[in-house]
Amino acid sequence: MKRFDLNWPTLIFLVGLIGFFVLFLFYPLWYAFVQSLVVDGRFTFAFYELMVTSPVYQESILNSFRLGMITTIATTLLSLPLAFLLVRYDFAGKGFLNGLILVPMVLPPFVGAIGMKQMFARFGSINLLLLDLGLIDQPIDWFGGGGFVGVVILEVLHLYPIMYLNVAAALANVDPSLEEAARNMGSRGFRLFRTVTFPLMLPGYFAGAIIVFIWAFTDLGTPLIFNYRQVVAVEIFNSIEDINENPMAYALVVFVLLLTVFFFYLSKATLGNRRYEMIARGYISSGSRPASRGMTVLIYAAMLSLTGIALIPHLSVFLTSIAERWFMAVLPQETTGRFYTMVFEHPMSLSSIEMSLILSVLSTTLDVVLGIAIAYLLTRTRIPYKGVLDAMAMLPLALPGLVLAFGYLAGYSGTFLDARHYPVPLLVIAYAVRRLPYMVRAAYAGFQQTSVTLEEAAQNLGASRLRTLFQITFPLILANLVAGGILCFAFAMLEVSDSLILALKDEYYPITKAIYALMGRIADGAYLASAMGVFGMVLLIVSLFLAGRFLGRRMGELFRA
Amino acid sequence: MFGIRLENVTKRFDNVLALDRINLEIDAGEFFFLLGPSGCGKTTLLRILAGFEQPESGRVLFDERDVTAVPPHERNTGMVFQNYALWPHMTVWKNVEYGLTMRNMPQHERDQKVKRVLEMVQMSGYARRSPNQLSGGQQQRVALARALVIEPDVVLLDEPLSNLDARLRLEMREQLLDLQRALGVTMIYVTHDQKEALAMGERIAVMQMGKVAQIGTPRDVYRQPLTRFVADFIGEINLISGEIKSVESGVVAATDVGDILGQAGYEGIQVGDRVLCAIRPEAIGFLLDESGTADNVILGQVRRAIYLGEVEQFFVELASGDQVKLIKYDATIQHAQPGDEVRLGFSQVVMLRDEAEDRDEAV
Repeated sequence: MKRFDLNWPTLIFLVGLIGFFVLFLFYPLWYAFVQSLVVDGRFTFAFYELMVTSPVYQESILNSFRLGMITTIATTLLSLPLAFLLVRYDFAGKGFLNGLILVPMVLPPFVGAIGMKQMFARFGSINLLLLDLGLIDQPIDWFGGGGFVGVVILEVLHLYPIMYLNVAAALANVDPSLEEAARNMGSRGFRLFRTVTFPLMLPGYFAGAIIVFIWAFTDLGTPLIFNYRQVVAVEIFNSIEDINENPMAYALVVFVLLLTVFFFYLSKATLGNRRYEMIARGYISSGSRPASRGMTVLIYAAMLSLTGIALIPHLSVFLTSIAERWFMAVLPQETTGRFYTMVFEHPMSLSSIEMSLILSVLSTTLDVVLGIAIAYLLTRTRIPYKGVLDAMAMLPLALPGLVLAFGYLAGYSGTFLDARHYPVPLLVIAYAVRRLPYMVRAAYAGFQQTSVTLEEAAQNLGASRLRTLFQITFPLILANLVAGGILCFAFAMLEVSDSLILALKDEYYPITKAIYALMGRIADGAYLASAMGVFGMVLLIVSLFLAGRFLGRRMGELFRA
Repeated sequence: MFGIRLENVTKRFDNVLALDRINLEIDAGEFFFLLGPSGCGKTTLLRILAGFEQPESGRVLFDERDVTAVPPHERNTGMVFQNYALWPHMTVWKNVEYGLTMRNMPQHERDQKVKRVLEMVQMSGYARRSPNQLSGGQQQRVALARALVIEPDVVLLDEPLSNLDARLRLEMREQLLDLQRALGVTMIYVTHDQKEALAMGERIAVMQMGKVAQIGTPRDVYRQPLTRFVADFIGEINLISGEIKSVESGVVAATDVGDILGQAGYEGIQVGDRVLCAIRPEAIGFLLDESGTADNVILGQVRRAIYLGEVEQFFVELASGDQVKLIKYDATIQHAQPGDEVRLGFSQVVMLRDEAEDRDEAV
């Protein structure tokens, strides 16, 4: 008997897919790895030694760790209580608040940073307001430590929704009867949480914490805007120009990569075999209870004020984009719409929009095709080493964008794909690879929710496999496919690290790189960049809203580990 | 309409033998049942007939034509799925029409056929509804209509009534029987519900762990079960173990409650065989006075009586300590009460091979 469904089309596709992953996932990483160890044909550990011995690199690595740790801890402290309130209590408008949590994600943190700089500058709105009110008599240095605090604030405000999604899911998965059993034994309050609830949540929480840590550790745009240069990501970015003379960047990239691998391995090794599935039981208590009136008020107050704070960067970006004159004043003295017109007039912003549209459409198309095919193979066929295929498709989720983009740039330098000459192919592939997991997940969920018998019924009545796919399966999972596609598109439009690293010529700048470049290049740069940022925000809000409409409540699943 | 033959069909899932050398012949126009507990392989067998699974070895023949390697969409079977599998993005009409469209039938012919089949299953008024707007029973009818409209060579039904409530199930049973008789189409029906199989089937194949344990008419499998498994699975059975002491004039087994006279349940029965005397609960009667007679008479004491409305059940403890169960249909009269000493009489006994004995010998 045939153990596997392997026909020629499947085989050819699989071989092509493996080739694609080898070329655009493994080879770039391998290249960086080799370059970090071999110089002029000789094997050397010098660059790794430099990491420990050179005060500059030491400082950068320490700062990145600090940034990652503080962000992780701060997002944890924000999300845990929030998750408890929203998972364990029922109240009017719960769905609305659950949606509200995601809102801060609609802006890449580095765009928010542009606005924040205006607002929290030495003589920015906040300090002026406090001075006016007589609360302080000296302006406060909000971004103390040469911008470090500013970076942390932006990372936290951007990443707590991701942490929340993971924590809330972990909490919702804790079997309420296990807590009831503990309560029955006399445990309660924080002790109950510490001894039973949290240990049960640990696998889910840890997964979220890793994502947040790696994200903050490798974020490139935000430190660049704050001109906070002593972090690993910026070190790597700065060394792109002279990569041939100084291979230190390779070692740093490998370091980040190994760190990522180490964390994921750690979570698998320590928590992998501790999956706490719900135990079947007769009585299912829902685990949530109605909130009292006072509790409801508290929940709303907490949520609204947090979201309010999280939206300060967004607000400040908006204010900056409409400010004609904003100097030594709490709010802009004069407002204008001219920066919005300028977005469509300035050659760089205009060409960047065009560029981003082309790149995003192409990469989304690639994602949709690959994503559907992979999800189909995973759910509907028996092929060997399914787990490997699954892992490969999901790998980019864990891989910092910085690492992959750097690998592309270095690994394909001098070939016909060289990003220094013509970055479009590599940018399309980079965007596509980074967002492929979202598409695979969306399609996978669709296939899984659609009973196979619906397809079998069609075949039974005379439809071939291909015909069944187009007439039965695709119409049924259309919502998932559209939602996945929208997400891929929206994230590609605002992709940061790939764009910053791979787009090296003005005419090929995508939106995010143009925003960054405009900041430093023209007098009105910050205003124009903010206006572009507002466009980006609107695009993401509309996209997320549309995707949410199609995916319904399962939207959050895409952002979880 | 044609007959179906399975030759040595074997199917393995990973390392589990789902079907073990199945040989079956199903006649044209027959209403054939595959009956067995979950995991016995009956659904796998049906899916092999539909072409969704490939047998590891063996052949499937439709009307003497080998279809083992024919893909599902070229087999012209009409399948009714357990969950109905109606496409939610199409109306009732479109669902039913689909198979005809696949057969490139001209529009006016399709319209006619769909109309007729919907009338047949009494769903004419629902053609424009979406499947989600239908009740379970209605969905069932549409699924049936969709399978019948293509005029399939064989209709395959996978537990089609299991998602309906008890009353509706009885109603659908009748209608399905009427349809099968009216159309004369070969139908193969998978179920774990022995009552369905007994009530509707012309022949039943009782399956156990990937094998066919017995094939026969409902009457045969009920009255003449070949194995303890079949006896147990179809209806209820009392089993008294014993040893054959004579096969001369009728088969006689010596048991803890005395000699029991019955008929051989397997071929080659001989003196010394360990057997189980299988007696249906309704085949045992209370002998109220000395004059009542039967092939076998044993004594016991009533332990429990359970009144169930149309029937009453009694559990009687025998001298050996075994309990036997009786079912009495006339529940208007009081047959016996707990504590009563009673005489039980019964004539229909089948001697089954005691398989535990087989295993002991094998060790």
